[in-house]
Amino acid sequence: MILRAVEDADLIRKARRGDVEAYNLLISRWERRVYNYLQRIVNNREDALDLSQDVFLKAYQNLRKLEDPARFAPWLYRIAHNEAYSLFRKRRPEGEAEELQPETMEGSPTVGGNAVFPVELTLAVSVALLKLTADQRETVILKIYQGFKFEEIAEIVSAPVSTVKSRLYTALELLKAELAPVQAPRGAGAAPPYGGGTPL
Amino acid sequence: MSCSPFDLRDYYFKELAENERRLTEVHVKTCAGCREELDRLRGVEAGLLLLPDEEIPQRIGFISDPVFEPSALRRAWAAFWGSAARLGFASAAMLSAALIVFSVTHPAPLAKTPAPAPAVSTAALEANFSARMHQAVAAAVAASEARQAQETQKLLAAADRRHTVETQAMMERVAEYLEVEKKHLNTLILASNDAATREDAR
Repeated sequence: MILRAVEDADLIRKARRGDVEAYNLLISRWERRVYNYLQRIVNNREDALDLSQDVFLKAYQNLRKLEDPARFAPWLYRIAHNEAYSLFRKRRPEGEAEELQPETMEGSPTVGGNAVFPVELTLAVSVALLKLTADQRETVILKIYQGFKFEEIAEIVSAPVSTVKSRLYTALELLKAELAPVQAPRGAGAAPPYGGGTPL
Repeated sequence: MSCSPFDLRDYYFKELAENERRLTEVHVKTCAGCREELDRLRGVEAGLLLLPDEEIPQRIGFISDPVFEPSALRRAWAAFWGSAARLGFASAAMLSAALIVFSVTHPAPLAKTPAPAPAVSTAALEANFSARMHQAVAAAVAASEARQAQETQKLLAAADRRHTVETQAMMERVAEYLEVEKKHLNTLILASNDAATREDAR
């Protein structure tokens, strides 16, 4: 659990009164997570960055409409979800948003010029994720990478909890088959961030 | 297919209620199949988590420029319209104001009360009422008596006519009877005369 001197709710209240610095602090807490969520959905870093900026701008403009500051995370991700799907619709008016191609590995995470993770493994995971439908992929991202509860995911994607579960469990079955040949040793990667959407 | 009392995947993702979680936990300790299923889920999750989070290429931030900042009045206005409670209060206030204006501009019509009766003494009223009552009663009685007299006259006339007719009929019957009796007597007299004549002749 991360203890903060100033809670998000306090920053939201200040931002509502026009305190831009408070809102910038709020952004700094959430921008990395929102960016990664969008990057994994749209599979393009530039688009993800542009969308992230739009998301935080729209969130600032509509901050007064947020009734419960404690529900800020699902509310923010709902905006991000809408922005991402709006982009899908612009790019593919027919609504086909699933045929994404993995980005080149030039932008893979590196430390000091060396890849942090073996390229083959991260590529395999990326490819496996891209084989899912857009809805399945988004559900996996929100659950596995973002650590939201089913109810929160249902709110973000505007679908019933049963649908969210169905999407996730179907996706996990598919991923199990896809990742079996490259199954990583247990404990690899970061610990799952369960705990109610605490920003990193 | 898992034999767990509750969905093993819900258990893995910590989405079960506390009592459900405990029951599933007890089951998993004794079920090798469910433990294997949990291991598979852990394996898939670990594989997915190989894809690490990335740092955002460019930090996002807004500048506080007074030129673009809304004025205090505008912020207050936006805050007012952004609050459902305040909107509700404003609606109620406007409704109240509308009701007041309507009630002022459209006064309710006064109830028509009967004109007050002129001040007269009770005795005079009673005398007047008594006189009218007597007059009405007298008129009613006179009319009733007239009707009764008329009815009586009619009945008497009818009775007279009936009596006359009956008397006349009776007189006719008596006359007929006398006539018959007279003829009978004559016949008897003639027969007696004939018999006397025959006696004399013998």
